[in-house]
Amino acid sequence: MKYDKFFAIAKEKGIKESELKVSTSYSLNVSLFHSEINNFTVEDGSNYIARGIINGKFGNASCDVYNSKKAEFLVDEIIKNAKVIQNEDPAILFKGSPKYHRVNTFNKKLEETPIDKKIEALYALEKKLKEIDPRIVEVEGVEYNESVTSMSIYNSHGLKLTQKLNYYYIMGSVVAKEGEQVKTAYEIKLGNDFSEVNIDELAKVIANKALAQLGGEPCKSKKYKAVLAPEVISAFASVYVDHASAENVQKQSSLFIGKVGQQVASKKITIEDKPLQKGSPFSRWFDDEGVATYNKPIIKKGILEGYLHNLTTAAKAGVESTGNGASSGSKIGVDTFALYLKPGRKSQEELFAKVKDGVYITQVQGLHAGMNGQSGNFSLQSTGFLIKDGKLDRALDVITISGNLVDVMNDISEVGNDSKILLGGNTFPSVIVKKLAVGGK
Amino acid sequence: MISKKIAIEVLNAALATGADYAEIFLEDSLSRGISIENGKVDTSSSNTTTGCGLRLLKENRTVYGYTTDLTKSGLLKLANTLNKSFDGERILTVEKFDLVKAKNRNPIIRSYNDVSREEIIKLLRIGDDAIQELHDPRLVRTISSFMYHHRDVTVYNSKQKWFRRKTEFARVAYMVVAANEKGFETGFNGPGTQTDISYFTTKLNLKEIALDTVRVALQNLEAKECPSGIMPVVIGNGWGGVLFHESCGHPLEASSAFLGLSCFSDKNGQVIASPVVSAVDDSTIPGEWGSIDIDDEGNPGQKRQLIKNGVLVGNMIDDFNGRRRNMEGNGASRRQNYKYCPTSRMSNTYIENGKNTPEEIIAATKLGLYTVGFNGGSVNPATGEFNFGCSEAYIIRDGKICEPVKGATLIGKGYEILKDIDMVGNDLAFGQGVCGAASGSIRTNVGQPTLRISKVYVGGRGGELK
Repeated sequence: MKYDKFFAIAKEKGIKESELKVSTSYSLNVSLFHSEINNFTVEDGSNYIARGIINGKFGNASCDVYNSKKAEFLVDEIIKNAKVIQNEDPAILFKGSPKYHRVNTFNKKLEETPIDKKIEALYALEKKLKEIDPRIVEVEGVEYNESVTSMSIYNSHGLKLTQKLNYYYIMGSVVAKEGEQVKTAYEIKLGNDFSEVNIDELAKVIANKALAQLGGEPCKSKKYKAVLAPEVISAFASVYVDHASAENVQKQSSLFIGKVGQQVASKKITIEDKPLQKGSPFSRWFDDEGVATYNKPIIKKGILEGYLHNLTTAAKAGVESTGNGASSGSKIGVDTFALYLKPGRKSQEELFAKVKDGVYITQVQGLHAGMNGQSGNFSLQSTGFLIKDGKLDRALDVITISGNLVDVMNDISEVGNDSKILLGGNTFPSVIVKKLAVGGK
Repeated sequence: MISKKIAIEVLNAALATGADYAEIFLEDSLSRGISIENGKVDTSSSNTTTGCGLRLLKENRTVYGYTTDLTKSGLLKLANTLNKSFDGERILTVEKFDLVKAKNRNPIIRSYNDVSREEIIKLLRIGDDAIQELHDPRLVRTISSFMYHHRDVTVYNSKQKWFRRKTEFARVAYMVVAANEKGFETGFNGPGTQTDISYFTTKLNLKEIALDTVRVALQNLEAKECPSGIMPVVIGNGWGGVLFHESCGHPLEASSAFLGLSCFSDKNGQVIASPVVSAVDDSTIPGEWGSIDIDDEGNPGQKRQLIKNGVLVGNMIDDFNGRRRNMEGNGASRRQNYKYCPTSRMSNTYIENGKNTPEEIIAATKLGLYTVGFNGGSVNPATGEFNFGCSEAYIIRDGKICEPVKGATLIGKGYEILKDIDMVGNDLAFGQGVCGAASGSIRTNVGQPTLRISKVYVGGRGGELK
């Protein structure tokens, strides 16, 4: 095998257990500005992450070129790094799961569709966006991206796993202007079947998102009934579910310590970790430690079902890994690959009707600055609309929403049926929150 | 990494179909990191970044590609893939390279590559031990970490220029999670430098820096929620500059300003800020976190005046985006690594000293917010709408700093805020950050003296300010 050299050097230098994770990716990115291809990017990259166990401690090192000199470098650094480690976490390299539920994440047809056809779609999207409304004063950019990634894990126990995936996304962003007011909007369509792309529909969504924001003013600061768009509740749920990580629980920094079997969200909420979804390019059938993944509820009808584990946290807790080992910097942490909020029955319009008078929050900005993931407190710049008499009313300009995640998750009174696959792989519908503090004027 | 002969061949292949500029960006960098969690060494890692980025330009068009296959055939394959984007005749041929000379303001005196892991751990323990010795049961998790990057970059371009640039930068970070029956709070400090490891022991007091993270986390456990509404805000020096970075710095980068996509596009020569505001982006300050001696297009680092007494006078410009205004780059072309196409970025960006003392500014404020610690933020350059979160803040009453509050987020539009700055202090300081944008995550300094904004919208959960 191509990587025998690494394992041979590791063995020779006294590392009994070692692992090499290889990922290669090839991607193409084309963008237009003012009807010209202004950017064309070809990425041909690779990454090698190596680990080894010495005296019960992990050492690790990584690089993006592999040759015999680099194999030597990886081994030497593993040894030096392992020597200084003091944590007492069990160091485990996986021998393999009894069964892997392979899902197909590679669509050959996407590669076979000629690139010219995809670029044509970009020109069509830009043209459409320009024509749609005179208040769209600029098409900031339209972009097509296509990637093929292959991920493999090899270790000295003989584990050999490879998953290949591909996906595309097409996006457009526009600037709308009326008087002195300027608003921007973008939308992304992604998947691995290019035949689903409907340019007219995408252009309409992008333009409407920008145009609808014009004429906005802040609203009165108070608590409102609110509909949160899929993008917003997905962002919130991702931060919330991180507290189900056994690593955070074991390190005493989780809101879910001692909460298994207890109510942590509204009864309307069932959130699953769904790494295995047919047709989704974000499906992962083994995690970053080589453990078979599986679909499971994390919160079921508001009740916390259990914690998410990698091999280390599972060994410490005396349970099995849940297949949630995920590389985080140089370590294996705990993470989900694709979250899924179980949809309800009502359409988004029906949610607005139910709220009657309130706000619709479409986007939050600056999550890294305005969301304290540890405490769950947030105060975020947001974009949205007033809901009046059960229908969308005027746009809201420069508002914040603030609160605590625990309260928001417990205050959800309805889940919509408008599920949407989001960049990163989460699938979420809109929800109603009974009360949300909105700051305006 | 590759010979000049191969570089000439690859550039000429790239130029075969009419590109008016081509550039090879080779990188062979090493970074190492060590972290201590709850008093025990938890991670130690090493990473090399090795690859080649190839950029072709024709008028306002960019073609970029990278590969980790650094053989002659691998690089020629990339050049021949990328040149297919153009279909003209060759207009340039590269025959030789002349070395670009630039001042070396950030020399590597003692390389971090020669510093042992044990020495780094000893350094981290100066602050970490101080935290552990508190034995405070509220501190449930503490992480002390160190990372350094040794970057080794070589550029060859079709202007027949070449240079090799070695830079090193390092950062220490202390992070604590505190908890009580009310919940969790965190504290963070992460100073960085482009000088050697002695900086951390001679110029900084790591013990004080580490204990300061504890002070903030514990204070926030007890602090009230910040009130919301429009109010005067006094922004502390140093890290407070993140406000200017987001609200004004990004929209002044040529990548948005020169494409007509920024709220400050075509405003040069006009008043965009209050007359007490003058601002600079300076990549020539020796040893500073955001400094660069030479940018990715071979232009030397410069001090750029952005705003003078309220008037917009300059931008961060890279050669490529400069084309749209017939301007040369001013040394602002940067990228995270070979995987990113370079563009105009900030370096050490700050508001210059004004006339007031910080004490005068506080004393002149009857009722408002005083913010001294920040979590970062974001901006939409087209609309100018920005936000940033505060990690340490106090209410000012009758000219005095009173009770601490938590959870404040400042939001607004950059072009409005700049006009509402009414007092600028004389205590300029910097804060070291990592800025993420189109060309990746790069080290940038934010900076400012203490200043006051007469009215800004503060988002918080504490109701009305009374």
